[in-house]
Amino acid sequence: MRTRSWRAVLATATAMVLLGACSSDDDQTANESIVPATTSCAGTGDLTMWERSGGNKQMVDMLVAAWNTKNPTCKINLTYIPHTEMVGKIAQGIASGEVPDLLGMDLIYAPQFSKAQQLVDLTDRVRDWPELKTASKGHMTVATYENRLYGVPLYADVSALFYNKDLFTRAGLDPAKPPTSLAELRTYADKITALGGDVKGYYLPGNCAGCNIFTVGPLMWASGAKIEATGPSDEPLTGEGVKQVLQFTRDMVKAGNVHQGDRAENGETFHLQFGSGKVGMMGTGNFNITLARQQNPKMKFGIALLPGAAPNSSASFIGGDLVVVPKGSKRVADAVNFMKFLLSDEVQVDVYAKALNLTTREDMVDNKYFAAEPLVRDVAKALTVGKTPYTTTFFEQINSPQGPWLQMLQRAYYTDDNLDTVIADAKKAMKDVASQG
Amino acid sequence: MSQATKTAGVVPGRAAARAGRLRRRGPGRRGYLVGALCVALCTVMLLPLLASVLASVKPTEEAAATPPTYLPHAVSLDSYERLWHYQQGLLTYLFNSFGTAMLTIAFTLLLTVPAAYALARFRVPAKEFVFVILLLALIVPYQALLTPMFLTFAKVGLTNSLVGLAIVHTAIQLPFSVYVLRNSFAAVPRELEEAAVVDGANSYQALRKVFLPAAFPAVVTVALFAFIMSWNEFLGALVMMSKGSKFTLPLVLAAARTETSLGGTDWGMLQAGITISIVPCVAVYLLLQRYYVSGLMSGAVK
Amino acid sequence: MYRGWRRRWLGLLYLSPALLFVFAFTVWPLLQMAWMSLHNWSLISPPTWVGLDNYTRALHDRQFWVSFGFTLKYTLIITPILIIGGYLLALLTSGGSRLRRVTRTVLFTPVVIGLGVSSLLWYWLFSTDFGLVNAALRDLGVIAEPIVWLGVDADRSNLAIIASVVWKVIGFGMVLFIGAIQAIPTEVTEASVVDGAGFWQRVTRIILPLTLRTVLLVTLLSVVGSLLAFDQFYIMTAGQPQNQTSTSVFFVYLNSFPYLKLGYGAALSMILALTILAFTVVQLLLTRRSHA
Repeated sequence: MRTRSWRAVLATATAMVLLGACSSDDDQTANESIVPATTSCAGTGDLTMWERSGGNKQMVDMLVAAWNTKNPTCKINLTYIPHTEMVGKIAQGIASGEVPDLLGMDLIYAPQFSKAQQLVDLTDRVRDWPELKTASKGHMTVATYENRLYGVPLYADVSALFYNKDLFTRAGLDPAKPPTSLAELRTYADKITALGGDVKGYYLPGNCAGCNIFTVGPLMWASGAKIEATGPSDEPLTGEGVKQVLQFTRDMVKAGNVHQGDRAENGETFHLQFGSGKVGMMGTGNFNITLARQQNPKMKFGIALLPGAAPNSSASFIGGDLVVVPKGSKRVADAVNFMKFLLSDEVQVDVYAKALNLTTREDMVDNKYFAAEPLVRDVAKALTVGKTPYTTTFFEQINSPQGPWLQMLQRAYYTDDNLDTVIADAKKAMKDVASQG
Repeated sequence: MSQATKTAGVVPGRAAARAGRLRRRGPGRRGYLVGALCVALCTVMLLPLLASVLASVKPTEEAAATPPTYLPHAVSLDSYERLWHYQQGLLTYLFNSFGTAMLTIAFTLLLTVPAAYALARFRVPAKEFVFVILLLALIVPYQALLTPMFLTFAKVGLTNSLVGLAIVHTAIQLPFSVYVLRNSFAAVPRELEEAAVVDGANSYQALRKVFLPAAFPAVVTVALFAFIMSWNEFLGALVMMSKGSKFTLPLVLAAARTETSLGGTDWGMLQAGITISIVPCVAVYLLLQRYYVSGLMSGAVK
Repeated sequence: MYRGWRRRWLGLLYLSPALLFVFAFTVWPLLQMAWMSLHNWSLISPPTWVGLDNYTRALHDRQFWVSFGFTLKYTLIITPILIIGGYLLALLTSGGSRLRRVTRTVLFTPVVIGLGVSSLLWYWLFSTDFGLVNAALRDLGVIAEPIVWLGVDADRSNLAIIASVVWKVIGFGMVLFIGAIQAIPTEVTEASVVDGAGFWQRVTRIILPLTLRTVLLVTLLSVVGSLLAFDQFYIMTAGQPQNQTSTSVFFVYLNSFPYLKLGYGAALSMILALTILAFTVVQLLLTRRSHA
């Protein structure tokens, strides 16, 4: 087992050196010229694809269905893997050689896998694709490692500040003027909480690391801070913004601006909170537009950008999934064709936009479906101020329910521990993780 | 201490004694107290199962209601339908779970019956060593062994196969099964065996004609425990199976927890899955109960 | 007939399939695991040799001790409940009356469903907003606000999980105890009744001592099972809050799967196995002494 991995790596390295090409697909002949990609399948026989559960399942199902309709002899067999097990499963698949032909992967893990040379380098195959020039910045950044590209966007989520216009009006706030700074956010929240009943001005998920990096992380970014350690010896949690935001959230909780039950939120009911109509303002994602409408059709709400400490500062978290090709895949060419299919104009409009999901290309934002939906246009603005964290140890540093990011937030929200200590402890833990990554 | 192993049907000494006392006093508070206690305990034990079954026939919105309702306001098979159509379809998952469980039973019995026979009745060289090996298997967390097993299985093509998963399950069940069967075989009276030998039986025939019938309850117990373990096992199935068409029922249940779009729990489908997982186990248990319980008692009391 | 080298080798023949199986599918992976524990092994990068580093790291790892401490706490609370509760239930239902037999059957029923399924069931029942426990407590007027049982407070989560495991497992010990109680010769108990012994006197002076061996066996099984607890914590709290409810095996799982630190996970497993071995040896020695 040990020798096998060594041999595989050695063989690949040798091949790379000899060929000077970057294709790391062992199964294709060395001198195969790369056929330009199309939006249809070139080979025959079904493709296998894994995707994590707990993501935007509807979107992925629709995309796969669209491909299958167009390519009935080359259908994609999609298997959903429980998302908490995804990283382990992919690693096992690669180590054992039993990989799917293509893979939907939470974009945040791409650096880890590209660094370990476990994804097929697609740079030469997608060279000169015009679509990529306008593809989501966050996705493209994390899909790149050392200037080589390993994946393209599958779907995109961005975070923004949703606010309940009905509650604004009731609290005497102008529903056309959402808060533009943390201080305003706090004032407005106080006013909404004062309405009483079961209504609170704000929402903080207490037990969900991912929800927090998605919606509280941008508050820190907007305040000029940096969060993750990108690699060994990189300093995480730098900038005054970290402490400012932690103080802000602690004060929010102390002022009673959040429901007691928020503390137990582990992500499983996060997307149902805003639609309940009991929260004045909440950081959440574009997916919440349709959901809130289904939950609460009469509620009027608006979307603004997540603010920072300084007035008119804003940021957003660009999340979602990438399509990547695991090393050992036997259908690299067709996987790439699927990618071109995803980025094609028709699919962007008729599948993504029609379902009111974000288009993964910024230049496709002006389409007929979005035009009828001002909220979607508003949330698409977040793409322009959005970022995606870049690190090879994202899960352990940030996304893990047992990791330092969530611990730091829980201590800030619910205890009186000195914030400098809290931040210092988290910094140390994140650095430890990064140094092993 | 006596080796009474088949006392299940016999009225035990204590009860007779107590019945005697009760007769002297007449049906007193004691009798009612015991009766009430029994009924209360039965209720507590059955209530969660009943709640789950009831919840599984609620219509979808009611299943996801908060606060929850106790009895369904309407009966609907929505959740079962969703479960039925989930990805590869419930039938596939049931087939995989059932197939793996059957294979596990087969492997377990094929291996442990002769092994228990040997340990109970033969002077096997290095017997202590064997016990140590079996004990080892019992105390190492099998979760940690899954990855090395997976990598080996991948090389020989045993991943994504019911046989491969059954092997993992058998490995987990083996120590306990050998222990129970061995005790049961050891308790078989020597006279029976000697009688068979006098009639000219060799060791194999003695096994078939004397030991297996005598220890039948223990054999059923081993088979039943193997079934239950294999039917419900999750982590091994997750590691060994990467093709959706080979997933087992527990994997589907795990998926139900993040099934609604963006990771919400589909409570109705979860309840339906729980109900379907429970039904075979409880059914088999009730049918084979008299073997099961006495098998356990005989297997543990040395 | 029972002696002779031929018979001994025949015995070995019968034993060999199982023995080979265990060697191939338990001992060999165990050896592989031991080998892995001496490396940094991430599955997606080539492994690097670190010798005993993983072991020293474990002993200095705060989370290792937190997990071990929590596992001990869980074991120390649940074991007496299972043993004493199981024994009392056995005393209650070991009689021959129909009611008692039915009760016995019902009490054993949760044992035959899987631990994973049972944990999911109780995960639902203890759910803050969707579960019946909070709904019932509220409707009975015991509490006003829903209690957050799982994932926020380590001790409360522990209690909720213990409740669910006791529900599931207590029938197993009960049945083993019934077997032991029923194996007591009737003359012994009848003699004590004639001597005027009351019920509890009978229990403590006669029944308990004569069933001590089974009690120790069940205790041993229970302790080992609790030290190796995983499923219920994986499903009900996922180690939350902040890994405070992450048992030792859960910590092994975290390192072996999501963290991709297989070498470290392997070292943790070895340490855990050795610890349990020590516990088991101690308990077996106690058993042997009582058997005299």
